[in-house]
Amino acid sequence: MIRTERKYIEILRILKEHREPMGAKRLSELMAERGFVLSDRAVQYYLRYLDEMGFTEKVGNMGRILTPYGKEETESALVGDRIGFIISKLERLAFRSTFDPETGTGDVAYNLSIVHEERLSDAMKAFDEVIAARCGFFPRYRVVDRDPRVPSGSAGIMSICSITMDGVFQRHGIPVRMAYGGRLDIQHGEATRFVDLIGYRGTTIDPLQLFISAGLTSLSSLVSTGTGTALANVREIPALAEQRAREVVAQMKKAGFIFPVAMGNSVFNLVADPYRLSIVAFSGMNFVANTVEKGIPIRTEIGAGNIPFSKIHRD
Amino acid sequence: MNLPLKFVHTRIEEYAMQVTFDPREGRGTVVYNLSLIRKEDLEYAIAVMKDAFKAGICVSGLVRFIEEGASVGDFQVPAGHCAIITMCSSTLDGVLLRKGVPSNPIGGGVVEIENRIPRRFTHMILYEHTTIDPLQALISQEITSVNEMMRRGSGNILANIRQCHMEAETLVGEVIDDLAGSSFSGILDVGLPNTPALGVTVDPQYMGIVALGGTNPMAAIKEGGVFVVTQAIKGLMEVQEMQEILEF
Repeated sequence: MIRTERKYIEILRILKEHREPMGAKRLSELMAERGFVLSDRAVQYYLRYLDEMGFTEKVGNMGRILTPYGKEETESALVGDRIGFIISKLERLAFRSTFDPETGTGDVAYNLSIVHEERLSDAMKAFDEVIAARCGFFPRYRVVDRDPRVPSGSAGIMSICSITMDGVFQRHGIPVRMAYGGRLDIQHGEATRFVDLIGYRGTTIDPLQLFISAGLTSLSSLVSTGTGTALANVREIPALAEQRAREVVAQMKKAGFIFPVAMGNSVFNLVADPYRLSIVAFSGMNFVANTVEKGIPIRTEIGAGNIPFSKIHRD
Repeated sequence: MNLPLKFVHTRIEEYAMQVTFDPREGRGTVVYNLSLIRKEDLEYAIAVMKDAFKAGICVSGLVRFIEEGASVGDFQVPAGHCAIITMCSSTLDGVLLRKGVPSNPIGGGVVEIENRIPRRFTHMILYEHTTIDPLQALISQEITSVNEMMRRGSGNILANIRQCHMEAETLVGEVIDDLAGSSFSGILDVGLPNTPALGVTVDPQYMGIVALGGTNPMAAIKEGGVFVVTQAIKGLMEVQEMQEILEF
């Protein structure tokens, strides 16, 4: 079995993020940026090993690319190291979200869902239902077909990822921490309590994706009757920031965001903390949950990138 | 007023404290999982559970079937359904506790098995950070390949890990010996002190003990496209009230 050393995996991760082939020299530069100082020659050595394992392959003399097996390995290796990685990865997108709710300009983070072309209209219908029930994060999405990540015969749907919110808070000088992904029980349009919570810092799998794949949501009932189980995120900020946070929230709402469901020191059945404020917001993944519940195959990458707000807003 | 949600490590400890199972005597209470299937799928479920037991991915061969309308604990089996009671791996935490070994539940996740040998955890959810049992949530077609593992000896199954202080190593060894002769067959791996167990790091001076997830046979049933809903760590039951699956 492979020795899943940190450095090997970091090389695989870099290759995963860049779709074009990459040579040892460039890899060694990128590794150094991430705190792994290696000579070109050392990188060559690691790459030979990764080739042998079938994780990477040479593309002529242009460099290496990741094989599907290699991609799988980045998602399986170093389990301890990957606990909490999903959120660190999203935090990068938050950092790059330059969205200004006051002017409605700047970049937001998005999720990219892939669906078969012939099911696109069904999926859009499922998305629209969630929008009409006001349990998404932002009431618009964008259909894309010319994107290298969308295979032919499929369509892509971009929707705003709620990690954008973290970026907005940060830009307003409010330290924010994404705490939980949860299942929120809604009775007759009123959120009543969380059914389950999974902390982002204690898992290698995205909590919301997990709830969806385990069949633990009931969006389709929620959108039709007002009673059901939706996906929501819980963020925490210092209680001291309440005033500033309320101002930001008001701006976000004005820009069209459905946000937040609740905010306070002791909301629903979350553990109360007098020094920290919990902010509960619907997740953009409710679109996907509703689609999955209808039996429409859909694949979603959470936090697929950043895009100008206007591109999603105007579509 | 809503009581705050209870995280899983607390629930495991609460149940572990109440376990009285004595592996040498084969008596006492164990923690169980409850799974619900449709009545007409019972025969299929029994067949899968037998295979799962023979393939060595069950915590125990002991089961109990509860018919529609009947109750177990505070749960009444709805019409048209059948409940399957299986042993939960947190029984192990109870057995350790009774022996005087404080065990700290770490988390549950997915273990990659290659040619019948457990290689590593590929996914992990820490108990302190979740209110739903990870192994209950991880039962889904996209994540496990329990049937693959049963047929070919390689695949992804569910397991959980706890850590004990290395000072208790001798006692842990005794517990494992006792369990070897009992109806609990769920130990997957025991790590060395200060050494990661199947890739999961333990605290300094601690050793990891990996047990099979009690929900593996249910994952196998679900992978076959059959309806099954599981509630892990559901309650306590006298072990004598359960029967060997192979007798069905």
